[in-house]
Amino acid sequence: MQKQQLLLTGLAALLAACGGGHGGSGTSGGTTPPVVIAPPTALSLAAQVGQKMFFDTDLSGSGRMSCATCHDPDYAYGPPNDLAVQLGGPELKSPGLRAVPSLRYKDFTPPYADLLDNPDGISVPGPGGGFTWDGRAATLAEQARVPLLSAFEMANASAADVVARLQAADYAGLFRQAFGDDAFADTDAAFRDALAALQAFQIEDSSFHPYSSKFDLYAGNKIGGALTAAEARGLKVFTDPDTGNCASCHYQGAGLNGSSALFTDFSYEAISVPRNADIPANADAGYYDMGLCGPMRTDHLPSVPGAADSFCGMFKAPTLRNVALRSAFFHNGVLHSLEQVIRFYNTRDTWPEIWYPTVGGTPRAQNDAGFPDYGLITVQYEGGTVQKFDDLPAAYAGNIDPQMPLDGRPAHSTPPMTEQNIADLICFLDTLTDGYQPPATTPTSGPCVN
Amino acid sequence: MITQPSSFRKTPKALVEATLVAAICAMAACSDNNHHDGSTPVTPPQTVTISGVVAGSGFVPGSTTEPTLKPGYYQGALVCVDANANGKCDADEHPATTGSDGKFSLDVATVGALIADIGTTATNTATGAANPTRNVFRATLEQVQEQQADGVVISPLSSEVTRLMEANGSSYDTEKQNLATRIGVNLAQVLADVNDQSGATQSAMLTEANALTQRFAYAVTKFDRGDKYPDALAVAGGDPELTGMAGVTAATATVPETRLPITFAQAQQAAFNVEGIPRYDAIFIIMLENKATKSILDSAFAPKINAYLQEGNQSTSYYATGNPSEPNYTALGGADDFGITDDSQWNCGATGANAPEDLPLPTSDQPGLASSPFNGSCDNAVNHNVKARRNLFNAITAAGMTWRTYNESMNPGQDIRTDSVADPAVMAQDNVYAPDTVGGNSSTVGNPNLVLPLPGGLYKTKHHPGMAYQNVRSAPEFKFSNRTMGGGQWDNVLKNSTKYTIPEGYDFDQLGTDLQTGDVGNLNFVVPDQCDDMHGITVKGTVVGSGATGTASDCSGDAIITRGDNYVDYVVKKIRASDLWKNPQKKVAIVIMFDEGKATSGFNSCCGWNVSNSTVAQPLKQNTDGSWAVDDSIANYNHGNRGHGESIWGVLTNQPDAPKGIKDSDPYSHFSFVRTLQDMFLLADPAVDGSYMNRSKYTEKFIAENILNLPEYAGSADTHFDAVRPMNHAYVIPADYVEKQSGDVANEPQVGPDASQANIWALKK
Repeated sequence: MQKQQLLLTGLAALLAACGGGHGGSGTSGGTTPPVVIAPPTALSLAAQVGQKMFFDTDLSGSGRMSCATCHDPDYAYGPPNDLAVQLGGPELKSPGLRAVPSLRYKDFTPPYADLLDNPDGISVPGPGGGFTWDGRAATLAEQARVPLLSAFEMANASAADVVARLQAADYAGLFRQAFGDDAFADTDAAFRDALAALQAFQIEDSSFHPYSSKFDLYAGNKIGGALTAAEARGLKVFTDPDTGNCASCHYQGAGLNGSSALFTDFSYEAISVPRNADIPANADAGYYDMGLCGPMRTDHLPSVPGAADSFCGMFKAPTLRNVALRSAFFHNGVLHSLEQVIRFYNTRDTWPEIWYPTVGGTPRAQNDAGFPDYGLITVQYEGGTVQKFDDLPAAYAGNIDPQMPLDGRPAHSTPPMTEQNIADLICFLDTLTDGYQPPATTPTSGPCVN
Repeated sequence: MITQPSSFRKTPKALVEATLVAAICAMAACSDNNHHDGSTPVTPPQTVTISGVVAGSGFVPGSTTEPTLKPGYYQGALVCVDANANGKCDADEHPATTGSDGKFSLDVATVGALIADIGTTATNTATGAANPTRNVFRATLEQVQEQQADGVVISPLSSEVTRLMEANGSSYDTEKQNLATRIGVNLAQVLADVNDQSGATQSAMLTEANALTQRFAYAVTKFDRGDKYPDALAVAGGDPELTGMAGVTAATATVPETRLPITFAQAQQAAFNVEGIPRYDAIFIIMLENKATKSILDSAFAPKINAYLQEGNQSTSYYATGNPSEPNYTALGGADDFGITDDSQWNCGATGANAPEDLPLPTSDQPGLASSPFNGSCDNAVNHNVKARRNLFNAITAAGMTWRTYNESMNPGQDIRTDSVADPAVMAQDNVYAPDTVGGNSSTVGNPNLVLPLPGGLYKTKHHPGMAYQNVRSAPEFKFSNRTMGGGQWDNVLKNSTKYTIPEGYDFDQLGTDLQTGDVGNLNFVVPDQCDDMHGITVKGTVVGSGATGTASDCSGDAIITRGDNYVDYVVKKIRASDLWKNPQKKVAIVIMFDEGKATSGFNSCCGWNVSNSTVAQPLKQNTDGSWAVDDSIANYNHGNRGHGESIWGVLTNQPDAPKGIKDSDPYSHFSFVRTLQDMFLLADPAVDGSYMNRSKYTEKFIAENILNLPEYAGSADTHFDAVRPMNHAYVIPADYVEKQSGDVANEPQVGPDASQANIWALKK
């Protein structure tokens, strides 16, 4: 029953995605709501298998978790809740290590390379590409292996375990149809086919790349895409190297292979977001999740703990499409609202004490006037030392990206963005949410209008 | 020649001519009927006989070198004095008919201007083929009088003199001389029978006759078809067909339809000004690489290009159509990238029906190609070998005209279809820049002791606009038309090459030679190497003395802009020093442009683009009934044609009276440029959408009419922006229209129309 519900949810998302796109032939009036012309593209047999698998809870050790459990179509194939890490495993009680990324707009992601050409054609090559927060999976198929076999996610004991479940699924016939009558004869081959099926579904199904946001109407010269004054200002903040500079990593321009406005350049940066105590693994003071240099990724591990390693602390810049649908941000899910994330970027350096713990100080009974209340720490301390960059060993502080808006400016100096900048930026980021339907009448007032 | 009645009665055609005389006498000119009572002898009418030929040219396809053009005559053409000026030899104009030798003998009351009305039953003796479409050649009264003693030659050239007199309000002597000057023949020969000429004179006359024949045939087609005048996309203000039309943005479709059917005289001129694009004899398109407008415009690193932009005319909203190079060059070759979205070798993904036909492949196991870097097999999900698609190269050749690509820094003896390779035997000194020659440098840039061996990949097939097209690589003239170009860092030392056997008589600077001899093409792509085109590659060498490794001063960073700037200056000066350029009767243009910008934000493209992140684009194919259907045969098509921002685009012409300093901000793309070139060389017909190749047919009207097959354009907020038009500056931007931009431009968006609507291609103000 649950499986059926999930499948229906997925179909609803597909339909919604189809409905948000492109307009009809009557363009002369300027207010005609867009309608769909393009017929839905038929999925290949492999993609049809992948679609079944994606929503199949029987493919997990618990019998209650599918891909869609964490990658919920209603949340742009991201997490449907604000948990920093999701619970999985055989009993759905095992916490994960990182926040769940969205699976949308992954079809142009190249495999990881230490010196990937930047899609902007301007920036120097650097670490980029690949799947998961550390790029250790080269393809979507490889990425699918991770949750299927993870003890704290879908918790299959082995590839053979997955194949056995597939063989028992009601779509085993479809699997054979897609991959041959003897598709299950070789377990390794069948598992590879299963991963390929999941990849095919994500590549072929437009719900994974609907391009149906207001921004897409804007960038595609479509009716309904005119940005409001606030959104246009927000776009400027997003792009402006002297304020938001978001576009530097969340690249919104044309990329390779026909991609455009993916809002990521696939690159990796170290910005050292605060350590998240909500992740049980962090209870071990010696444990650090350092992205490219491990521990989950293993090819850039420091030779000994603390040894020089320019990859330590670097995590992938995710797409910002549908970012407004999220409620767990960054690789460790430490922040829970978009506004908070922007404020972190704006004040990590100017108000470090509201993001990182203070050690040795004394909490004040009352904060100074003007002490921000939007940080993770809302109590002002007297004395003590702020543990800035508390989730990255000090040896790797040099890896931290000095780009705006995180330019390392002194504490209590003026931050890069004004309150107006922040409000406008949020308005702009809201335009990146898929499924946008232009209002019948253009609003003349509201927070994101003027 | 003209004879008196007494002698013409002795001709074998006496009976016919007697009838003719009677008919003539029925006209007012012989209306003296007083003596027709039978009692009084009839005074013989004062008629004259004009003899001569209708001469022309014939094109025979398939040449591996210059086009094969043959002299000949039109058999079965009608010749008359077009008394009612309707562009036809009507029965009551008593036309003579040319014989198998092209000769005619026409009796008229008075000597007058003649026309040759060449119908589809006429035969072109040059080829033996039936004349494909009605044509009319004219000869002025002055010419008839001048040639009457020896026979009048009615030809495309005689007709051109007539047309020019009408266009310029000038005299026969002036235009005859201009035409002679234009094609480089003696005044005495320019209107003579081409069949009687030889050598360079005949060749020049045939070349011009071939082009003119097509122009005049097109003029007659327009006239006979009743086209409205002018062409829809040449109407000042905008296309009047769009006004009131469903599916177009009403705010930009406001020009009323007031055009009338074209007259014969209008059609004569319109055929030389298709969609407002004048006929040019030669265009040189200098291709540069990967720079946003704001990186070049007013840059201290590019003072010379900026000077040329100021001196000539500019398209200031010019968009690339793809990313990276190969799709852009492919689009410049044929107005589509066919799903190519990377720079892969042209055989990549080309299997099955797409498999290359120009075999053997130029791999290193082929004789003489041991140094070839060509990979004989290349897996790719996308086919990079475009088959059976129309393109400028094939179209130019099929029209009996010529194209060239001038490619810098190929290895002498290499196969044109392969990238160039490094050659340590070819050593050049680092380029050294004195202070204040590279963006205001205060000290010398470059190391005079740094010696740089020829790096690999200076010449790249991805930068050849015809390379992706199988029909171009397989064209008989392909090898002949691909040529060298000198002037760069290593070009003077390429004679030291070791990688391939240098062919005997190898010309290291064919562009220089061709500019001296005049053997350039009608369409010339000028493709500098990857240092001189501002692309940039890693060029390392050794410092003499210290043995240290050094990097070239100017094949990366901002200095490469100055390097490209200097190279453009070199090429422009070279072209402008040629006799071709200095002959004002020749219409010559130089375009300075980039393949793509950066598009880090804003609009990626316009004008036939695959609208940003559309997921539905497919090419079209034409049904037998003329309607259009989706062609779903091209993998990855939906990812192509998405554009890559704006770059500078400037044009210089050799026309002294042309408007200068014009900035046309109407958005254009590579597809617009390809459409413009089709108009310029009469490779298409605005009345026939399908005559424009690939996406260059995607005008605003065409898109609206075919929106169900072009869903990427559905719901457009600005159908003008999305659509292709020729670069003729006819469209006038509405007063409150805010310019759309990519992130590649630094100026504030323009609001309202341009300061001048002058056409950047205009030959005179």
